[in-house]
Amino acid sequence: MNTIIHSILAVAPAFTAYYLTALGHGFFEKSGVLNLAIDGVFYLSVAIAYASAIYTGNPYIAMFISALTASIFGILLAFIVTKLPISHGAAGLSLMFLGYGLGALIGNPAVFKFREIKMANIGFSINIPRTPLTSVTLFMVSIVACLVLLYILKGTKLGAAVRASGEDPHAASALGIDVLKIRLLAGAIGYALIGIGAAIFELVWLPTWQQMHGMGHGWIAFAISLSSGRHPILTMLTSTAFATLLTYQYLLQAAYNLSPEIAKMTPFIAAIAAMTIFMVTPLRRKLSPPLSLGKIFFKEERTL
Amino acid sequence: MHITVVRRVKPLPLGNVLIPSLSIITGILLASLILYLLMNIPPSQFFTYVGEGFVSLETLRDFILLTILGTALIISFKGAVWNIGAEGQITMGMLAAAYVALFTNLSSSPILGKITMVVLALILGGAWGLIAGVLKAYLSIDEVASTLIMNYIAYYILNYLVRGPWKGKHTYGYIRTDLIPESVCFSTLPIRGITITYEEILLLIVTLVFAYVLLYKTALGVRIRILGSNPEALKAAGVNVKLLIITLLTISGAISGIVGAIQLAGYLHRISYPIETHTPYLGYTAILVAWLSMLDLRAVPIIAFIIGSLNQAGRLLQIAGVGGIAVTYLFIGTILMTFTILRVFSEYKIKLIKG
Amino acid sequence: MKDIVLKVKNLTKRFPGVTALDNVNFELRYGEVHGLLGENGAGKSTLVKILYGIYTPDSGEIYIDGRKAVITSPIDALKYGLALVSQNPQLIDKLTIAENLILGLTKLGLMTPIRKIYGKLRELSEELGTEIDPNIEVWKLSYTQKQLVEILKALLLGAKVLMIDEAATLLPSNEKRRFYEFLRKFTLKGGSVILITHKISEALEVSDRVTVLRLGKVVGTVRPNEVSIDDVRMMMFGERIKEVSYYTEEQIKVLVRNKVVLDVKDLWVLGDHGTYAVRGVSFKVHRGEILGIAGIAGNGQNELVQSIMGLRKVVRGRIIIDGHDVTNRDTAKVRKLGVGYIPDSPLKHGIAPDGSIEDNIAMLPCIAKGIVRWSYIRSLARKLISEYDIVTPSTKTPIKLLSGGNIMKVLVSRELSIARKLLIAYNPTRALDEATAIKVRKMIKRKAWEEGTSVLLVSEDLDEVLQLSDYVAVMNSGKFVSLIPKERIVREEVEKLMVVK
Repeated sequence: MNTIIHSILAVAPAFTAYYLTALGHGFFEKSGVLNLAIDGVFYLSVAIAYASAIYTGNPYIAMFISALTASIFGILLAFIVTKLPISHGAAGLSLMFLGYGLGALIGNPAVFKFREIKMANIGFSINIPRTPLTSVTLFMVSIVACLVLLYILKGTKLGAAVRASGEDPHAASALGIDVLKIRLLAGAIGYALIGIGAAIFELVWLPTWQQMHGMGHGWIAFAISLSSGRHPILTMLTSTAFATLLTYQYLLQAAYNLSPEIAKMTPFIAAIAAMTIFMVTPLRRKLSPPLSLGKIFFKEERTL
Repeated sequence: MHITVVRRVKPLPLGNVLIPSLSIITGILLASLILYLLMNIPPSQFFTYVGEGFVSLETLRDFILLTILGTALIISFKGAVWNIGAEGQITMGMLAAAYVALFTNLSSSPILGKITMVVLALILGGAWGLIAGVLKAYLSIDEVASTLIMNYIAYYILNYLVRGPWKGKHTYGYIRTDLIPESVCFSTLPIRGITITYEEILLLIVTLVFAYVLLYKTALGVRIRILGSNPEALKAAGVNVKLLIITLLTISGAISGIVGAIQLAGYLHRISYPIETHTPYLGYTAILVAWLSMLDLRAVPIIAFIIGSLNQAGRLLQIAGVGGIAVTYLFIGTILMTFTILRVFSEYKIKLIKG
Repeated sequence: MKDIVLKVKNLTKRFPGVTALDNVNFELRYGEVHGLLGENGAGKSTLVKILYGIYTPDSGEIYIDGRKAVITSPIDALKYGLALVSQNPQLIDKLTIAENLILGLTKLGLMTPIRKIYGKLRELSEELGTEIDPNIEVWKLSYTQKQLVEILKALLLGAKVLMIDEAATLLPSNEKRRFYEFLRKFTLKGGSVILITHKISEALEVSDRVTVLRLGKVVGTVRPNEVSIDDVRMMMFGERIKEVSYYTEEQIKVLVRNKVVLDVKDLWVLGDHGTYAVRGVSFKVHRGEILGIAGIAGNGQNELVQSIMGLRKVVRGRIIIDGHDVTNRDTAKVRKLGVGYIPDSPLKHGIAPDGSIEDNIAMLPCIAKGIVRWSYIRSLARKLISEYDIVTPSTKTPIKLLSGGNIMKVLVSRELSIARKLLIAYNPTRALDEATAIKVRKMIKRKAWEEGTSVLLVSEDLDEVLQLSDYVAVMNSGKFVSLIPKERIVREEVEKLMVVK
């Protein structure tokens, strides 16, 4: 029994990291913005979490800084694609590359700083210790986040406004909401969650850093969110599947005598598989994406 | 004060030249600012490197490869299909070429060997694109997500091979394949200092001609261009849009695959592990080239040269101690951002309303 | 002037290629129902859309309660007490009624629970004389119910000016009566109404004053008791004759009636929401015959047309064109049989705005295959341009730069030239100016009469259907409720058949 509980708790860091990221991404996309910047900002937030933890010595402050910076990017993306008639894909991709570049430029020097500090103080570490208590806290945090977002989406004016902006921003505007303001909020909240998820990824689950650390995992969260129809509860299930796969990757490797490369490949193949399964089943109809996701929102129309 | 955006009655004159130029300049300025703030690199030093990039002979290689890749991506982008997977397609192309060069008898014959390498690279790169195409056409899976994820899968496949069954016999401790046989290496031009090869110039010309004929002389080309404008109109006209999307990504992937073969046979001559740290990430830089050319084939060589120079500047910075790839990503990001925003001005103008 | 609630001064609005409003001056008094009349394209919708903040004027001023007002969005408009109820209810299908309506209540904070407005909504709907459950998702509502929700919204937001854009036009007569009664009650309580309609008699019956717009200019403002219907018609249309004859003596030929070109048998087609949009429709169109389908939008016409073109799946039934069974075959096969198609919303479905005329011709598989012979395409383009008077700098100009009317001409001319056996036209003259519309109708008629092309004409413009068709079918709730030959058509009967119960 003890080992079963232990195995479940071990999944918590990966689970929370992916879940919060996917949750925040899904919430933001519900407001109608195609979020292609996710991997770049995720990577950047991982690097910022790492660097902040080193420079401040406090992983919790680092988590806050990470969430804050991510939020700013979310607000920026939401603003650009809503205020100007700009392709969501282009804006998202440029932020993605920006995130990659900034992340590397922030992370690389931090590695040197880390070694410096470590030489003076061998016990220095940046991570939040992985105890059963941490794991339970992480699960609690995830559940709370799920419930809060569910309530917002289904029971409050904000949720109705977010969903309205995603379904039909023109109608939403006609109905009286400021689509820009709502998307800015959705970007801030959604990306704050992404920032926290990235911080957990770095500070609890994989507390190391090298230049490619975390790259591509934003896309895994993207696939998780997509294949669960952006639904807070369903996203939990998919996140669990991926988190389990990744946490026990090494066990899998050993058991089937796989090369580490094949093992590293599995989450990405699983991501494509998950999206395919979702699109092929009737889930696709019931949990369809926001009708106006990625559509350019521009108010002046031709009279034809 | 209220900002409203209103459509222009006539498009901005000379917009096609003005906007990319302005984006490049503002993008570079922005990048230099960030480098100064984050890494304390004085802008003067950055600009010197940029300048050096423009006159460096190394840039010619990037120029050729980016022109080929830019063309491949323009074909796809014209149909509004965003092939972000060039990196993966290049990798698969390289895989194919390596297979022919290292593990078949064909590598002993120079002409047959090289042709087979290129053709197989075409096929594997095309197949990589085809998969994404099928996912998009039949399952509406966004091609940006799928092609990007497939980039990582491609890296890992090649890494697995290089680390495992393809590991070289004469590697002196490094994890890498053997050198490919001399007979199938591309032949460099006999000009001192230049490292580009006859074969890649040939492939460049073939690609450009192919792209031009495809887009402007064939019915397929018309349909690709209309796909980018209004896919619904194509459906009503009786065109099989699903097949079109798949064809598009396959062609784009195939041409990108060729670049993988060129990289292997032209200058790398072997594959080192891990591939992610040894690739110049041209697959991503090419996105910038394609976009900045405003999807006009004639502009690709010019833009490819400029971006190639920036790439070289990035490498010089790496030698100076700043992570090279980071700089590449940085300026791709800043220029793409400025471009995306400035692009709005070609069709819209900003009105300020008081009150 | 304290009795003026809304005043518009020198308002001008231009779109690419057309001036929608030209120095318009307009006044609305407290407690009045003010009718706004004009034909398609006169500018009535544009005016209220500007007042509701959907468009911004190029010049001119708006005064509310005597003070200058700047309206840049519907939120601003609602703050000033202006509410728009349009013919196409702008509601969000996936959300519930309450969720839709709470969005406009700007005084409520973002974290307000939706349940909070249920009580008020029930109260207001009782005032309107109906019962509505605030928790229903909007896509489940009927057209009439959606209109009621729109009014509910206006009341909820405390609107003092209701702008009704053709919303009452399509209501069944008993609901229409209740609607106008409600408007009266509204004005008696101090509210004002701008009522847009193209039905002259209704406007004169219900309004206190009527303003007529023509081609973006105000022709005049009159009191109903001082004018006749013909006076108003004169103001709306000028000196042109409204009834255009499409027949000349030479064209009265004997039709070859025995060949069936389009044969549709017991067709069942699903709509977008999982219910059947077409329910067992059967009809035949003969060579050279024009079958017109009349009906209110949304009764299955679009789905019917799409299924014939191979753009939508047929669940049951058969479609046979010129002897070939094309049920559920791809669009290319249908096109190859010589079928032309003018779809609804041409900019969305028919042409590619970034392409040139040459591109838009060459995209058809039946015209260009393999290597394109551009010289041939160019000559085709030139022929269309001269035959149909298309105004364009060259055959290579992207057609999005042409005016709306010319874009339509490109589409129509292309389809008319490739349609040999059958032409399917859906709203072919929507949003066209009168002159171009007449030309298009003449071309369609000529195609049928002189070339023997069969035509399936679907139009929301009942006049158009009645003027062009040899047979008129009325489509209601997915069925053909009637099929009447031209000689026996009575307009009022057709209108009655169109109304959805």
